Amino acid sequence: MIRMEIALFLVLVFIGIVYFMSERRPTPLHKTFSRLLIVMPIHLALDGITIWTVNRLDIVPRLLNDTIHRFFVVTMVLIFYLFYQYIAILVEEETGKPRKLDKMAKLFLILAEIAELLLPIHYAITPQGNYSDGILVNVTYFSVGFYMILGIGLLLGNWKQIEVKKRMTISLALIVELSGSMIQSYHPTWLLSGMGLTLMTLAFYLVLENPALLRAELMEQKMSMLYLKSQVNLHFLYNTLGAIRIQAQLNGDKEVADLLMRLVDFFRMSIKVDRPVVEVEDELEMLEAYLDLMCYRYPELEVGIDVEPGLESAQVPNFILQPLVENSLLHGLKNKGYKGMVRILARKLSDRDFEICVEDTGSGFAPGKKEAIDSMLRNYAKQAPKLTGNSIGLLNVQKRIKLLCGEEYGLSYRENEEGGVTARLLLPLTINTSKNQ
Amino acid sequence: MKRLKVLLVDDEIMIREGFKRLFDWESHDCEVVGEAADGMEALAQIDTLRPDLVIMDINIPIMNGLKVIQVSRMKHPDMAFVIVSGYDDFSYCREALRLQITDYILKPVDYEEFGHCIDNLKISLFEKQLTQEEELETEERPIAAITRYLQEHLAEDISLNILSEEFHLNAQYISQLFKSEIGVGFLTYLTGIRMEKAKKLLLSTSLSVAEISERAGYSDYRVFTKFFKKHEGCTPSQFRRDFLDHNK
Repeated sequence: MIRMEIALFLVLVFIGIVYFMSERRPTPLHKTFSRLLIVMPIHLALDGITIWTVNRLDIVPRLLNDTIHRFFVVTMVLIFYLFYQYIAILVEEETGKPRKLDKMAKLFLILAEIAELLLPIHYAITPQGNYSDGILVNVTYFSVGFYMILGIGLLLGNWKQIEVKKRMTISLALIVELSGSMIQSYHPTWLLSGMGLTLMTLAFYLVLENPALLRAELMEQKMSMLYLKSQVNLHFLYNTLGAIRIQAQLNGDKEVADLLMRLVDFFRMSIKVDRPVVEVEDELEMLEAYLDLMCYRYPELEVGIDVEPGLESAQVPNFILQPLVENSLLHGLKNKGYKGMVRILARKLSDRDFEICVEDTGSGFAPGKKEAIDSMLRNYAKQAPKLTGNSIGLLNVQKRIKLLCGEEYGLSYRENEEGGVTARLLLPLTINTSKNQ
Repeated sequence: MKRLKVLLVDDEIMIREGFKRLFDWESHDCEVVGEAADGMEALAQIDTLRPDLVIMDINIPIMNGLKVIQVSRMKHPDMAFVIVSGYDDFSYCREALRLQITDYILKPVDYEEFGHCIDNLKISLFEKQLTQEEELETEERPIAAITRYLQEHLAEDISLNILSEEFHLNAQYISQLFKSEIGVGFLTYLTGIRMEKAKKLLLSTSLSVAEISERAGYSDYRVFTKFFKKHEGCTPSQFRRDFLDHNK
């Protein structure tokens, strides 16, 4: 048996090395898997050691034997907790429903671990080999069962919403682990638990966490940023528009010349994707160029910008305001013949965060549209590229805020009482310190 | 103040035409004396025409603009260069700064704003002239005394009336003096040196924008920010950040 544990240990260490060397996004799912990859080899090492010590009760001091044994069961419960956590986060990512059982699972973990450290250990001595039994081991089995039932429940409850490949992997892994645990409880000397755990980890690794997949995730993110940049040859665009502008001005058409100037301004600012975080005033500058042009096209459009003093230099992800305003214009005010108002308001909420609202007096949401947008923004992480048109813009805003500022920040929509909608960005308040010292 | 001779260098005829016809050279006491469309032509024109100011595109055929400046500098140390570039790229800008150019402006050029550039040039030419006079230890001219006073008191409220009391000269006369000696109006000169001061403080200290605005003579930092933006094309904090970012 010890030879199997050593083999499993080596397999996991190897996977761990490959995993930690590859770049990945710092999502909760990947973080949980990293923790699992740290606890697993420790557990397998302890597993191997206990197999040896438990059969030499006469030479190994009792206290040493007990301590190793306790840590062995402690890591085992922790692993099942992490399995459950992993499945829960995966289900959350797939369905967009927030995890509800987190607190209970954590509380149970604490109680079980305390029990594992304090309850008395008893060793059964048999001709096939020795093993531990009694209340301590029963608590372990109970915890394992508890987390597996939670995991299975989550999986079955959201069966349809989870991608086929993922749900098959998880259920297979769960079946292997479940049968392993059952056999183990009937034949305690067969010592199968390490194998089941390794198989389960391996299943996650192969389907959900392998380096190629992680790299693809990262690439997708970078590519969408670079996309805009590669669209057009920028110097060609600037220089040509610049030349046309001069011609217009030479022909005495100041108005056309000014509009072309604004257009060039807008392009130049919007394609500065090399700086992911900018200041509010940079965003407003670009927005003003955009709105100047829109107001020229639709003279009945009114615009108001009101920023609380001091917020101009707050840091925000770039390109988050223009898509919202564009959305207000194209989906709200367009239906009213571009007659109405867009207001941009920025104000401090506390010392830690602030909000930027984009209000319009447009036609408001069509029936069912608000729910669709709410669900899209909530499940931002799992939206496939099937989305078309402007929702990509909103989704992108949401994704980048979540990625750059944190999960608690982001974009939401509400309907105004007097008609129209308000897009609200909740953002962390970080002021560029280099100039405010 | 003599009339400034200007040479235009850009490979695009439209840009040269724009400069020639859309900017009011006459009212800024300047005259376009020549044009060049590539680096070699520019070098030849610089040698024959001896312009006071060369407006130079970087990305031109045969020899790039920076190289032309480098070569011309050796022969004509007093010549002023303004770089006009479509490259929104600081690496060029830094190299340009090493060549001690007068200004660096980005395409598309706003011809109405280009006047600032000429005003700045005149102010810096005047200051250069002043230091030469100081070295020669000639008697201080009234305009030198007045500008020295302005430099020392730019954080305060200054007006032509105050100057007139201080120097016992007619306000009208002082205003004339600025026009004739420096080539720019009193207010333009004052704004110019205040902006120089502000830029210096932004880059060399960690004072807040509000404090800097105070020291540069603007009691309301929002007014200051507005002026700064008009003058420099970016806000004070952007100016500082851009510089710090690229020096990391």
